[in-house]
Amino acid sequence: MEYLGIVFQPIALFTIFLGTVAGVAIGGMPGLTATMAVGLLVPFTYTMDPTMGLMLLGGIYCGAMYGGSIPAILLNTPGTPAAVATAIEGFPMSQKGKAGLALKVSVVASFVGGSFSVLILLMFAPMLAQQALHFGPAETFLLALMGLAGIISIADENSSLIKALIAGLLGMIIAIVGTDDMSGSLRYTMGYVELIDGVDFMPALIGLFSMIQMLELAGIRKKHEIDTSTLHKKQKSDPLPKGISKHIALGSATGTVIGVLPGEGATIAAFISYNISKRISKTKELFGKGNPEGIAAAESGNNGCVGGSLVPTLTLGIPGNSVAAALMGAFIIHGMIPGPDLFNEYADHTYPFIISLFIANLVFLGVGLTVAPYLARIALIPPAILVPVVSAFAVLGSYALNNSVFDIYLMIAFAVFGLILKKLGFSLEALILGLILGPIAEGGFTQGMIIGKGSPWIFFESPIAKVMWVIILLLLLPPLYSYFKHTTLVKAPDAD
Amino acid sequence: MPKKYVDRALLLFFIVMAVLLYLSTASYPGIAKTTSAYYVKFLAVFIGILSVIQLLISLAKDIDYTRLHLSEHMPRFLGLLVSLIIFGLVFEHLGFFISAGIFIPLVALILGYRNYLTIVITTVSVLVFVYLVFVKLLSVNLPGLS
Repeated sequence: MEYLGIVFQPIALFTIFLGTVAGVAIGGMPGLTATMAVGLLVPFTYTMDPTMGLMLLGGIYCGAMYGGSIPAILLNTPGTPAAVATAIEGFPMSQKGKAGLALKVSVVASFVGGSFSVLILLMFAPMLAQQALHFGPAETFLLALMGLAGIISIADENSSLIKALIAGLLGMIIAIVGTDDMSGSLRYTMGYVELIDGVDFMPALIGLFSMIQMLELAGIRKKHEIDTSTLHKKQKSDPLPKGISKHIALGSATGTVIGVLPGEGATIAAFISYNISKRISKTKELFGKGNPEGIAAAESGNNGCVGGSLVPTLTLGIPGNSVAAALMGAFIIHGMIPGPDLFNEYADHTYPFIISLFIANLVFLGVGLTVAPYLARIALIPPAILVPVVSAFAVLGSYALNNSVFDIYLMIAFAVFGLILKKLGFSLEALILGLILGPIAEGGFTQGMIIGKGSPWIFFESPIAKVMWVIILLLLLPPLYSYFKHTTLVKAPDAD
Repeated sequence: MPKKYVDRALLLFFIVMAVLLYLSTASYPGIAKTTSAYYVKFLAVFIGILSVIQLLISLAKDIDYTRLHLSEHMPRFLGLLVSLIIFGLVFEHLGFFISAGIFIPLVALILGYRNYLTIVITTVSVLVFVYLVFVKLLSVNLPGLS
């Protein structure tokens, strides 16, 4: 009740409303993502009350995840990558004059998926966090390795599996710059006093996820022509089709489970939910031509990721995806280290934050049911206006946390280096996860070595450690096997 | 430059970095020799091995001469990058509002936008928004306001 009281204060409700509406607007702008928005705003929450700051960011996360579906349905222009599957079914529906129904299915599915995942977060996160109390330094190190092993699943057609691992390790190496906690001596700072405390991951996050997008947008030669015909078409709003709830339930469960896995994002959740829905549908032939079942599965899937991704983030300090990594940054800058403490010592911040996510879902449900068609016009803002505005905020955000111009240059350096890595197929999500997991891994490793009196067997001794090694192997071996099998199969025809 | 060459050069850089990182642990003092140094060695060994494997895979494949294009429109890309660096340089001296007041319209023009009224309205709106929300509401310290 005490936590509900915090959430239902007028200022808190206003903050959630503001964050969610801003999130819907940001999600509706192609090229802008939830990670970018949350990453940009984290430094500004430093001066805010921690609970309010987290509520604002949580609202943005929920809102942006839904917002991407509006231009996907009305303009065939997904606001976020997670809304691509929604566009496949949504736009054909709009062309048939059924945009009202598509938008309604999208917002209801997003609401159910989002609320379900937050419920799971609320129910299971405290229990999981209590389990983390049994973790010693060795298990903490293995936990970080598990997160790194999860990076493998980030590898997709654009980033090779080995390169994803290299990027993760590179992030961990960047994280060792600064003061060595064991000896108190400086390492790899190259004489820069700004690096004494290490490389702050906020400028890195802003550079890798916000500035890169702006550099890419700035360099696009051909303008993407957006089909606005459906905005001028008369649209009907039919009631929700029968049987849609099955697809919403399926997407919600799939999205939540996928969200829990470290490294897996909303885009994957949306596509997997969409594909399962297609497989079990009685109207398979309508998929690709405007089937509301596809929208229901994809949207409940990507919004299901919200709560799911926060489970490992808040309980174990392993971000479920890049947005959760940015949110974790918000907890850290307020001195709240993810783990059991969040649910005990900082419970008065954590529980109101989780409850606020329910409110955020309600806010975007209201927004979606009333003004969604008008919000689609946000997607029409020209990149030439968007780029300088977001870039100015990126500079401001990088500077604001430490009042340091050095951080601005760090952000620019990460953007340029990150762009090169991205073009060469290295995973940027892996890089940022490595940067975040690095200090956790090092802390666990060094303390484990002290307890084990210099023997690495400490990392294999406890039953929990043994189970964790099995999980790490299970995470690593199947993708590695299929990767090498695929490489061999691709190489074989070349040999002929 | 072909993408493959840049890729291989970067992998070579990672291998050299791994070797240097490994060697650097010899100078770790006191307790760090048996703790942090092992961790750094662990990272160096793994990134080194993975970079060698990736380099061998790359060498075994036919050379793809696709060039590495950081951007389709290099002048605009570089224009934004240079503007950002200058923005960072003058940020503390001129303050956020003056430097952003120049940066936003300048970048919009570099990117080929010519609707001057929209540029002015956007710039003023952003500055007013930053002042009201970040300075007044969130009490964020911005240079140039003290």
